[in-house]
Amino acid sequence: MRRPIILALAATCVALSAPALAKDQLVLAIGGEPEQGFDPLLGWGQYGSPLFQSTLLTRGQDLTPQPGLATEWSLSEDRLTWTLTLRTDVRFSDNTPLTAEDVAFTFNAAAEAGGRADLSALESARAIDGNTVELTLKTPRITFIDQLMTLGIVPNAERENGYGDEYGRQPLGSGPYRLVEWQEGEQLIVERNPYFYGPAPVFERLVFLFTDEAATLSAAHAGQVDLAAVPPALAENIPEQMQRVIMNSVDNRGILFPMQPDEGEQAANGAPIGNNVTADLAIRQAVNLALDRETLVDVALNGFGRPAFGPADGLPWSQEGEKVAAPNLARANTLLKEAGWERQEEDGLRYKGDQPARFRLTYPSSDATRQQLAQVSAEMVRPLGIEMQPTGRHWDEIQREALHQDAIVFGFGSHSPQEVFYLFHSEHAGFGFYNSGYYANEAVDQHLDAAQAAANTEEANQHWQAAQWDGDTGYGVQGDTSWAWMVNLAHVYATNRCLDLGELGVAPHGHGWPVTANLLEWRWTCD
Amino acid sequence: MNSQPRLVAAGYAGVFGLLVLLLLSSSLWLGDSPLHMQFEARLMPPSAEHWLGTDALGRELWARTLAGLALSFGVGLSAALLGTLIALSLASLAMLSPILDALVSLLIDTLLSVPHLILLLLIAFALGGGTQAVIIAVALTHWPSLARLLRAELLSLRNSPYVAISKGFGKRQGFIVWYHLLPHVLPHCLVGALLLFPHAILHEAALTFLGVGLDPTQPAIGVLLADAMRYLTGGYWWLGVFPGLGLLLMVLAIERFASMLRKAL
Repeated sequence: MRRPIILALAATCVALSAPALAKDQLVLAIGGEPEQGFDPLLGWGQYGSPLFQSTLLTRGQDLTPQPGLATEWSLSEDRLTWTLTLRTDVRFSDNTPLTAEDVAFTFNAAAEAGGRADLSALESARAIDGNTVELTLKTPRITFIDQLMTLGIVPNAERENGYGDEYGRQPLGSGPYRLVEWQEGEQLIVERNPYFYGPAPVFERLVFLFTDEAATLSAAHAGQVDLAAVPPALAENIPEQMQRVIMNSVDNRGILFPMQPDEGEQAANGAPIGNNVTADLAIRQAVNLALDRETLVDVALNGFGRPAFGPADGLPWSQEGEKVAAPNLARANTLLKEAGWERQEEDGLRYKGDQPARFRLTYPSSDATRQQLAQVSAEMVRPLGIEMQPTGRHWDEIQREALHQDAIVFGFGSHSPQEVFYLFHSEHAGFGFYNSGYYANEAVDQHLDAAQAAANTEEANQHWQAAQWDGDTGYGVQGDTSWAWMVNLAHVYATNRCLDLGELGVAPHGHGWPVTANLLEWRWTCD
Repeated sequence: MNSQPRLVAAGYAGVFGLLVLLLLSSSLWLGDSPLHMQFEARLMPPSAEHWLGTDALGRELWARTLAGLALSFGVGLSAALLGTLIALSLASLAMLSPILDALVSLLIDTLLSVPHLILLLLIAFALGGGTQAVIIAVALTHWPSLARLLRAELLSLRNSPYVAISKGFGKRQGFIVWYHLLPHVLPHCLVGALLLFPHAILHEAALTFLGVGLDPTQPAIGVLLADAMRYLTGGYWWLGVFPGLGLLLMVLAIERFASMLRKAL
């Protein structure tokens, strides 16, 4: 009897000495409420912590794979079969065991669901035994490992409490937290999962407020939230009782150019394809040369960001030398003149034949930062005799009309080079938002295919980089200049001074949830 | 009317006339200053150099406010005129036959029973936003009250002895409406349009503020106020105060002038 009492006392002492007990509940206003609920098969968990579920592998600060549910993993020599050994002590939050059957079900179902998790390369997933799962691919794909790090495991549909239609609203997983209540459009309340296999999270309860920008800031000023996402424009006005935390990112913004001339073609939904101005390389190069990216960062991001020159600046699959010395209006004017774009006195615009150098620069009207980027970049390009017309549209209108014929202010940025494949491979031309400009270059396709088929990450990175610029061609600013990248955003948060977020990594696209990636490292530093 | 009210009326008329002149001519002398960016002078408070301060892109707020008021004035005027035209047309139509009268009355009652801000939002959104959509949406939601007033006026006029005489001479309903009834309600239309005007301006600003109105790159008052909202917690008060005050003064001036005119008529 004495031993349990001593153990209990010791545990109490340890618990009391931990700063965690100083505060049990955190209130977060970081946005990012998922429209389709918390269903990994439909895309939940692609950014940040999946909260309710666990993944086979986790991503380290250096983006390398670390153990998660799986303790061991290997890829066959033909690069078609992944074999993973699972931990034996994992339980769902209803205290039932998680097995290889659940993992196989998750991957097969996600491949069928066709959600945000791209499992098109998966042939099948099968449980070898209770703790071993085998994933077979149709073709070698180096980026498949990203799905092992992002796809949360759900319970097999055939078991009790298994996956079903309502899963997104009543998620059951083996992650660090379990859902208590979700009032859509208002708040999400989660509590510690007592059966989580990893170290217990410091905070017993998290409350996520889904408030708009103004309400978030008001709540922060009133001291009602512990962590709030702050737009760059207001990053200098953090409430006095809070501190500013900056998370660097590859969350970029840039101008995607339609690459094809307008020949009357239409996409499947009837949206027109092509733009006779942006299809001209000289125009795209001139825009790139006119953009003063430092000023864009200062004006549109209030200094909280850095210039961008590619989709993944600073990440291992990006070319280091891919930069353009800008602004350089003299060089831009020379290029335009050489390409036959002559300036006319009457309106100051350049013309090539009857074609004026004028095109719409469309941005989603709900996004104030993109609006400012569009307006400022249009101002920077104007002295060249090119008129970019900033045009705000709703997303559905963009898809219906603008997607393939307007230059568009887009934002991307990922922890996976798979995004580069989507953005620039011709097989994805017209596919969703990624390659909506119908970019196509055979040499780039070959580099991208070679990267996917590579034996290891290092070899793949060489091919990813060559796709950007191989000394002869590429999708980047030295080659086809299919984009004018503008800025990489810094994600700014206002946090309670007692909240230590630990070492934040580099955030991908999407302000908000990415900050939760290291949720288990968060600490409370006050008594 | 004794001399003091006459003086006040002349004062209102003068202020209104000046306002119209100022706003209608503003595009001539403002040039591109409402859109001109000064990256080195962003979010500057009001000073001798920047009269009403500057916005986040370094654009002068006085120029943007004036341009916004002119834009709102134009949109409000168009919407008020279109709304009045619809009201007058339907009220006249109601005079042609009892069935048409019943239909018009039903339409008026139906529209008046729906909160017009919701209708306004729905129409503006369905038309895809923009200047035309705002004008149409405001006009389509603001005619029923005026139409009801005009219909009542026309009904009382229809029972006048001179209309009975005209009927006795065998004139048709259309002739009677056009030559005998409409000329008498035109002054009511003028006042109705003027009273509709400030409503139209405020609703244009509201729609634009909510993101279904004018293009956010235009210096409309609704756009300025929506932009100002983002910066309020940062202490940049001038971004919201001056456009808001400008809108308030313009609406008050028009409303006062319209009320005065109504009393005079």
